[in-house]
Amino acid sequence: MVSRLNDVGGMHGFGPIAHSVDEPPFHAEWEARVFALNRVLMLRGVYNLDEFRDAVERIDPARYLGMSYYERWLTAIEALLAQRATIV
Amino acid sequence: MPKPTASFTPSCGNRTLSGSDRPAGSGGHEHEHASESGAAFTRRVDALVAGLTHAGVTSDREITATLEAFLAGAGPSNGARIVARAWLDADFKARVLADANAAIAELGLDLSHWAPVTLRAVENTARVHNVIVCTLCSCYPIALLGPSPSRYKSEAYRSRVVREPRAVLREFGCAVGDDVQLRVWDSTAELRYFVLPRRPQGTADFDETQLAACVSRDALIGVAAASITPGSSG
Amino acid sequence: MKLAAGDRVMTSARNPAGHYRLPRYLRGKPGIVEALHGRYLLADERAAGRDVSEPLYTVAFAARDLWEEDAEADCIVHAELWESYLVGL
Repeated sequence: MVSRLNDVGGMHGFGPIAHSVDEPPFHAEWEARVFALNRVLMLRGVYNLDEFRDAVERIDPARYLGMSYYERWLTAIEALLAQRATIV
Repeated sequence: MPKPTASFTPSCGNRTLSGSDRPAGSGGHEHEHASESGAAFTRRVDALVAGLTHAGVTSDREITATLEAFLAGAGPSNGARIVARAWLDADFKARVLADANAAIAELGLDLSHWAPVTLRAVENTARVHNVIVCTLCSCYPIALLGPSPSRYKSEAYRSRVVREPRAVLREFGCAVGDDVQLRVWDSTAELRYFVLPRRPQGTADFDETQLAACVSRDALIGVAAASITPGSSG
Repeated sequence: MKLAAGDRVMTSARNPAGHYRLPRYLRGKPGIVEALHGRYLLADERAAGRDVSEPLYTVAFAARDLWEEDAEADCIVHAELWESYLVGL
């Protein structure tokens, strides 16, 4: 099973680099909430940064490629919390 | 803070990770997340927060407070101030290059509101140009500079800048001469980089505030030069 | 720490299945130690919930060693690598 599609250094085929200007820090409120929620969960010790990165990297590859950046974060957080069904 | 004791499972029940906890070919949970709108994402976030609130882990209020504190304390203007001071004070610049975490405290900048990271500044000169990337994810000094631009997070940037940095810089309008060494810094661990761009011509009588206004977020990444008219990029 | 700035190193060519912070484009490549950073928690272990620290180095790679004739002139790529990402030590 293919995984770890995050490791893209040197790869070809991702197209031109988009040149956005005057971009807000987040494109939607839900993105900002995901960002802050992730921070709080790591601060609380629910998971650490590498556990989070690992969860992002292990998203089903076919879906990973079609997801926006913060959708990947949200999907990873959902999966991490599901795996920790009992939080003590 | 109270230790949460209730159990929690997100209502989405998302189990879409590959790897040892899911045997190959086991099928899986097939929400049609791919075609969701912002409203659907909002519902998923709401569901997570509701569950976590019930479990005593966090609350909407805490999430909002965390976000507001972050946005208030982190932004490109922090980096611009560091650069401006470094341009005016060679000893300060030397301290920034030797130990950026300690030096930025002189400007009242403090990263302790966020996760601990080791900052490192890299200096552009007449002979060296630096550019920052995280090929593996999107590591960036967010506690200092705020969120990174979308293009920094993009597969296109992350894949190309380690392979053809000069071509990428030309596309950004920041062409670098053949007599200038190009140094790419791939943030693979817990160091976070920012660039000290070169001071623009025509700024000899600028004060620190005017100099800081020359430094865009892109200049701190290394994909733009500092400029008297930095424009609206970044 | 086993290494000093200026030491020549070779990166591992391993391809682990788990979380790993040596990018594929830097595996099995020759580099030079550019900076020493003391001990940091190894990402591979942290992802499994374990705290294991190792020396961390910045290693510099010549673009021609990464991309051969496709490399642009006079480019150096740097990355932070834990000691266990290097071979032959």
